Amino acid sequence: MKHLSEEELIELYYGEAAHPVSAHLEACRECTAQYVELKQSLDAMRPAAAPQPSAQYGERVWKALKPQLIPYEKKARGWRGWSQWRAATLALGCAMLLAAAFVGGRYWERHTAKQDNAAGNRNPQTVQPTVLVVLTDHLDRTERLLVALEHADSSDHVENAQLQSEARELLASNRLYRATASRSGDPALTGALDRLEGVLAEIANNPNLTAEDLERVRKEMNTQGILFEIRVLKTRKADEGNAPNHSGGASI
Amino acid sequence: MQENDHSVIRAVLAGDKEAYGALVRAHSATVFRVAFRIVGNEADAEEIVQEAFLRGYQRLESFEQRSTFGTWIYRIAVNCALNRINQPGIEAEYRPGEESDPEEKTVQVATKDADPERSLLSREISAAQETAMRRLTPTEKTAFVLRHHEDRSMTEIADALGVAPNAAKQAVFRAVQKLRRELAPLRGIA
Repeated sequence: MKHLSEEELIELYYGEAAHPVSAHLEACRECTAQYVELKQSLDAMRPAAAPQPSAQYGERVWKALKPQLIPYEKKARGWRGWSQWRAATLALGCAMLLAAAFVGGRYWERHTAKQDNAAGNRNPQTVQPTVLVVLTDHLDRTERLLVALEHADSSDHVENAQLQSEARELLASNRLYRATASRSGDPALTGALDRLEGVLAEIANNPNLTAEDLERVRKEMNTQGILFEIRVLKTRKADEGNAPNHSGGASI
Repeated sequence: MQENDHSVIRAVLAGDKEAYGALVRAHSATVFRVAFRIVGNEADAEEIVQEAFLRGYQRLESFEQRSTFGTWIYRIAVNCALNRINQPGIEAEYRPGEESDPEEKTVQVATKDADPERSLLSREISAAQETAMRRLTPTEKTAFVLRHHEDRSMTEIADALGVAPNAAKQAVFRAVQKLRRELAPLRGIA
């Protein structure tokens, strides 16, 4: 019988476990004993008793805050001020503009495609979407960071600070890529970026990054595994970029 | 309340600055509580309340009417608190509840009697918990406080921390594992 992991027991404690976990617990004495022990430990972690703010607290906060606020400007003329025919004219104008832009865009696209075909696609760089290059650049940077992390000299504070600064920059862009990959339905890329985000957040959010922290991140978060995933993804992206008819995958 | 908050927000955006006062009065206690639980002291928590409502006001135009103002300002406050404990040299304090909450003393101490030996033991346990909490990273600490003390779901924690739900879950797991490891020697004597 496969016993429950500590993570599953923690999920169970917080009421987020799947049904089979609860069913297993009912049947397994060993896991029940472990769960009781976990429950006792966590039950003992009482919340810090926050001082109860007085009834006037909100008023006090507001009084301190009020002088710092600049009123939002009133809209000079709201929608209600417009007469119906003016609003209709504006809507019609917008619709015509959109239609013209759409038709013009289609024409321009066909025109440039013809030129490319005429030139025999001699320059594949023009076919490859710029956005793909941007993602590859992100993967390059993360690969460099993970390699640096693997070989970081733990006692070198300057190197650690550089590592942290790079992690902060990458964390913000990584979130965007992960969200986009998730929307595009690319589970491999989403998963890798998700795991990478955990590592970046750990490094970026640690105010006093020490040798022990780096070692812990390396071990607990399996940075070597993530590095391997990033390399595989880079190869995949490069193949997509070189493919003659690039059409599949997440468009980031 | 939610519809009321939305109409107040419309009034503020139309130029009625005073209307924002109603939102501050309605939500400041909740914001204070979570800020206090993360940073662990009253002075910093009060500053975070101010900062959160100021940021909230400045970004009010980006507030999406789909969500509630309470959830939105809560997220901003968690972010401010996390930034605060992330600053080098600033360390969040953690005060286990039994010191100022006589009712909860019975949870940590097996007997209700004011036995000096028990009292000493209770203080030792509190000190050990404080030390264990200090050893968590700011992300782990915040995730743990939100899950364990604030009873927030993993999705809410992920939103508040600006990470993926799986990353939030991992932060909570790591926090629990570390705390259990640190407090293991006390198991059996409490």
